[in-house]
Amino acid sequence: MRQRLSETLQAAAADALEQRVKPVEALAGDAEQVAAACHAMAIRFHRGGKLVCFGSGGPSTDAQHIAVEFVHPVIVGKRALPAISLTGDVATLTSIASREGYAEVYAHQLRYLAAPEDIALGVSVDGNDPAVLRGLEAAAELGMLTIALVGGDGGGTAGSAAVHHALVARSDDPLVVKEVHVTAYHVLWELVHVLFEQPGVLDPEVIR
Amino acid sequence: MARDGTGVESLYPFLYSGGSNLEDVLDQVRRSTVDKAAEIVELRRLTVHRDAARLADCARAMARSFLGGGRLFAFGNGGSSTDAQAVATTFLHPRPGGRPLPALSLTDDVAVVTALANDVGFDVVFARQLAAFGRPGDIAVGLSTSGNSDNLVRAFEEASRRGLLTIGLAGYEGGKMAELDTIDYLFVVPSSSVHRIQEAQTTVYHVLWELTQVALEASDSS
Repeated sequence: MRQRLSETLQAAAADALEQRVKPVEALAGDAEQVAAACHAMAIRFHRGGKLVCFGSGGPSTDAQHIAVEFVHPVIVGKRALPAISLTGDVATLTSIASREGYAEVYAHQLRYLAAPEDIALGVSVDGNDPAVLRGLEAAAELGMLTIALVGGDGGGTAGSAAVHHALVARSDDPLVVKEVHVTAYHVLWELVHVLFEQPGVLDPEVIR
Repeated sequence: MARDGTGVESLYPFLYSGGSNLEDVLDQVRRSTVDKAAEIVELRRLTVHRDAARLADCARAMARSFLGGGRLFAFGNGGSSTDAQAVATTFLHPRPGGRPLPALSLTDDVAVVTALANDVGFDVVFARQLAAFGRPGDIAVGLSTSGNSDNLVRAFEEASRRGLLTIGLAGYEGGKMAELDTIDYLFVVPSSSVHRIQEAQTTVYHVLWELTQVALEASDSS
């Protein structure tokens, strides 16, 4: 019995591993979109903009991870870039949820904490989080650059006119989606710095 | 969070050779995305294959703990603090179909963390909370990329002394965490990239969650 359970668990681990291969390869297949998002983000940082991240549930931890990634880079010598997460102020978050409704938690904060030159980055495992979508819509109304990290079929967020760049993790498993997102935002961070440090590539005449 | 000694310059020598044009740079960026995806697929495979039997054993021990009324406490610094929170919410409010289990992150309560850091020192921010909450049969999960965080070392000492099941996730070669006898199950992601380590660690705790759920189901039916 013990032996059989151990074999079942090891088989489950091997199976879990396999489920993660294709979605990561799909991210590699989206390299063009990744590069476009990095370039757009680098331009905003170059102009003095900041990154504003948000997501609900598991993705709230990603929003905080992205913020710390940019503010306190793991690679020595990389400059700190301004980034905040809208998930950290529990007083404001629960106050908005209680009075205006959960869908408004990020949109409200964006209207008062963000500026037109900033970047909004919303994270949702299925692309159907109303608060993330409302946040991205409010950001677009402000004139911000909007980026969505979503999963599944992208949901209503990937198809929204308010979203300038959508990166979709191709899996229906929220745990696999998170893993692809972690790689995606690590790559975004690194490549924003690559672009940011290139003389010339962010000058007005080369920006498409 | 540990710092990575590898500079971006060494990874992209082409970019640092003087002037650059946008198309060349974007082409490098695209290729880099593809390379990193291949790298993480391989690192996950290496980590999970090598540790498959221990992941299974660890999940069974976690299931036994939960069945006995144990609770899970997760902790880490910087980016790993967000993983600690992700571990807690994965167990406490799992994806549809999962069994909710008692889990909390020791990084959430800013009043407690800053009080301990200010009054005693940052080394004790997790150990003191484990001293307050931990009971024999509970589970302590500590995440670090370097394996060298002093407050994790202290937390594992406290957890082990109190009879908790102790689980550590580290990178590189495990750092100080690899030298401790206070960690029952240590999973080391063999990489020197902080980013790839974090990505593979996410898989490790997701797999531990999944296997724990399977082990709990098996105990229901036996």
